[in-house]
Amino acid sequence: MTEPLLAVRDLQKYYFEQDSFVDSLLGRDPTSVKAVDGISFEVERGETLGLVGESGCGKSTTGETLLRLREATGGTVTFDGTNVFEMDDDELKAFRRDAQIVFQDPFSSLDPRMTVGDIVAEPLKIHGIPETTETESKREWRRDKVADLLERVGLSANHLDRYPHEFSGGQRQRIGIARALALEPDFIVLDEPVSALDVSVQAQVLNLLDDLQAEFGLTYLFIAHDLSVVRHICDRVAVMYLGNVVELGPTDELFESPKHPYTKALLESVPRPSTTEHGRRVEALSGDVPSPRNPPSGCRFRTRCPQVIPPDDLDIEQGSYRALMDLRDALAVGDVNPDHIWDAADPDRADTEAFIEEARARHVDAELRGEVAGVVDTALGHLAEGEADSASETLRERFESPCETRRPAVGDAPHPAACHLYEGSDEVTVIETNAGATAEADD
Amino acid sequence: MADTILSVRDLSTRFFTEEGQVNAVESVSFDVEDGEIFGIVGESGSGKSVTALSVIDLIESPGRVTQGEIWYRNADLADEFRGSKPEAVDGDLVDIRRLPKGVRRSLRGPSFSMVFQDPMSSFNPSITVGEQIAEAVEVQRRARSNPRSTRSRTQGYGLGSLLVDSLLPSKSYVDDESMDRAVELLDQVGIPDPEDRADEYPHQFSGGMLQRAMIAQALAGEPDILIADEPTTALDVTIQAQILNLLRDLQEQEGMSILMITHDLGVIARMCDRVGVMYAGEVVERGPLADIFENPVHPYTQGLLGSIPDVDDPSGRLEPISGNVPSLLDSEMPDACYFADRCPKAMTDCLTRIPEYELDGRHSVRCVLAEQEYDPADAVDSADAVDREVSADD
Repeated sequence: MTEPLLAVRDLQKYYFEQDSFVDSLLGRDPTSVKAVDGISFEVERGETLGLVGESGCGKSTTGETLLRLREATGGTVTFDGTNVFEMDDDELKAFRRDAQIVFQDPFSSLDPRMTVGDIVAEPLKIHGIPETTETESKREWRRDKVADLLERVGLSANHLDRYPHEFSGGQRQRIGIARALALEPDFIVLDEPVSALDVSVQAQVLNLLDDLQAEFGLTYLFIAHDLSVVRHICDRVAVMYLGNVVELGPTDELFESPKHPYTKALLESVPRPSTTEHGRRVEALSGDVPSPRNPPSGCRFRTRCPQVIPPDDLDIEQGSYRALMDLRDALAVGDVNPDHIWDAADPDRADTEAFIEEARARHVDAELRGEVAGVVDTALGHLAEGEADSASETLRERFESPCETRRPAVGDAPHPAACHLYEGSDEVTVIETNAGATAEADD
Repeated sequence: MADTILSVRDLSTRFFTEEGQVNAVESVSFDVEDGEIFGIVGESGSGKSVTALSVIDLIESPGRVTQGEIWYRNADLADEFRGSKPEAVDGDLVDIRRLPKGVRRSLRGPSFSMVFQDPMSSFNPSITVGEQIAEAVEVQRRARSNPRSTRSRTQGYGLGSLLVDSLLPSKSYVDDESMDRAVELLDQVGIPDPEDRADEYPHQFSGGMLQRAMIAQALAGEPDILIADEPTTALDVTIQAQILNLLRDLQEQEGMSILMITHDLGVIARMCDRVGVMYAGEVVERGPLADIFENPVHPYTQGLLGSIPDVDDPSGRLEPISGNVPSLLDSEMPDACYFADRCPKAMTDCLTRIPEYELDGRHSVRCVLAEQEYDPADAVDSADAVDREVSADD
């Protein structure tokens, strides 16, 4: 295989809060928001790699960080053999010619006070193109070039002197694409280029992107949240969740036989525009995406995972185990309020049995039996006495999952999945962490 | 066939703006049957939200519903107005546009309620979620004890009310009973630990949770018809799946009808029994889900379906509709089929206004192709023809 055009290794981008001078005077520790937390992937020449995930998973931050539009916290990005983060000014300027970006919002990414011609010519001007001309002036040369570009993206050359507000969303996105093409780049980051567009216009822009790639041999990093668009345009796809890549593989393989439980859930959730979809009931993932300020230890997805792994010596159905993990998460984030349970069970706060029963009815969405029920009742007993911490600890001792102690990352296989279910193969590499201790320290 | 609970006939809504008259909704007709989910699908600016707002009587100046009838089945109202307004009553149906303003207003809540697109901007950030839901409960409770004189919260939020509130802290609009009901509603829509969450402010909720809270608020009046305007557009797919499941469960539990407005044909396919497709303010095609998805007649419906990449089958190039969504300014709208300038099958017959054709009682379409085959010999380069008529600026 030839060398990839772009190689991203362990890229990290943290944002820090309470990081100002005043905060340091007041002795506040900076808190980090781990927007991108150690991701690796490669983009081959001429391919389209999709980066897909829900809002807040770090996909746009990845796109901007690898272009050095944001300063990375750690990791390396190699473009065409050179480390992007170590480039000097001249190298960086050359890199900017080769790597371009198209932004999501066509309404805010074009300067409303510049004409379309000036917008598209601006990169040329900045990079001093053309260096020399034969007969015409440089300005005229650029004007011809811009007219050419506009026609190439499906607009007309006589749109040159108009302003962005005179165009519809789809046309503006075409202007943004023309601007990105002006410097004849090799690589374009497309950051949700069609999500602000209506479906009929979206299809036009997708077809245009396809045509341009074929014509100019472009390499795309296509960032999107819409799985059907990704399936349509990408050769390979990386699925992101909470700052991590959870699965990476060729598009068809990933869509037809997804490995990671998150990818499966994502694909399951997409509403299909066909009559067979009618009344289909999706087993929706429970809960919300956790905050990147305080991400779950171990596997980031474990708080919502429908296939979370129980400890080896515990014989338990998945449904019951998921319910127990949900109870533990609820305790951890303070969603269980013993006062309300007492009010409903026994306002005099005497009957612990009634408390446990009420707490189970409210917070444990499964039938529990034998040993498991015993442990849960003991923990809820602690809760009844107001000792939420020992309740959590009792549950953790018996029910701690391998998913929460060690963090999986994508391995070297052609279609890896960062999930403990695939442990023992080259699909997953495991980062050992002493997660329990850090989670407690955070509290 | 189930009974019709809502029947919209020939409804038009216009906005009278400085740039001119905007025909946002143009002669729209559709029925919603008892206990069904009826979907309206269309692109941005097609008039789907304005249609919903017109039904619930929330169009504000400079907009106005200029014509049409909105028949709503309610035996009590029909009896009440049979004597005084016979023209507004037909059997059990009443034409709510002809009822007095106070009566129309009293329908909001127990008859119609609405879930809006953006939960973050639909709640007041300075009042707890529980109180905002309790307020909706309270309004309904007061309305029941004294119908027709529903007053909403009258105190403002300025300096004066701040002083009054601090001097008279007990002066709360909602009483404990309504607050308890709000907690019940939050529980019903699947919010964990509702007692505590009721005392939190909207910014403490995630988008999905807040959308659940808004649904709880809409349920406060136990509506016959819930209007859901893009209820999942602001949400991620996994959260969207939760909300769609919730809406379906509630619809079955409460036996209400849902008018579902969305741009996402996938959501329509999962949720709706019947669909209306809107384009440029008109319902261009309407019928049962299977008819619209498998035998679409209108080229716009076909184009919309052809524009969506299929998540299960990536093969093939997309077949988008050329051109852009038209302007709805009255002065720029041609005296022709509004879709003719983008239509791949435009013919000379398309250069007049097109009526709605019934195909088989359930399926209707606003296109000449309902009655005749496409004849290439008769084709017009419609973009030119229509452009000439409106004398476009190029």
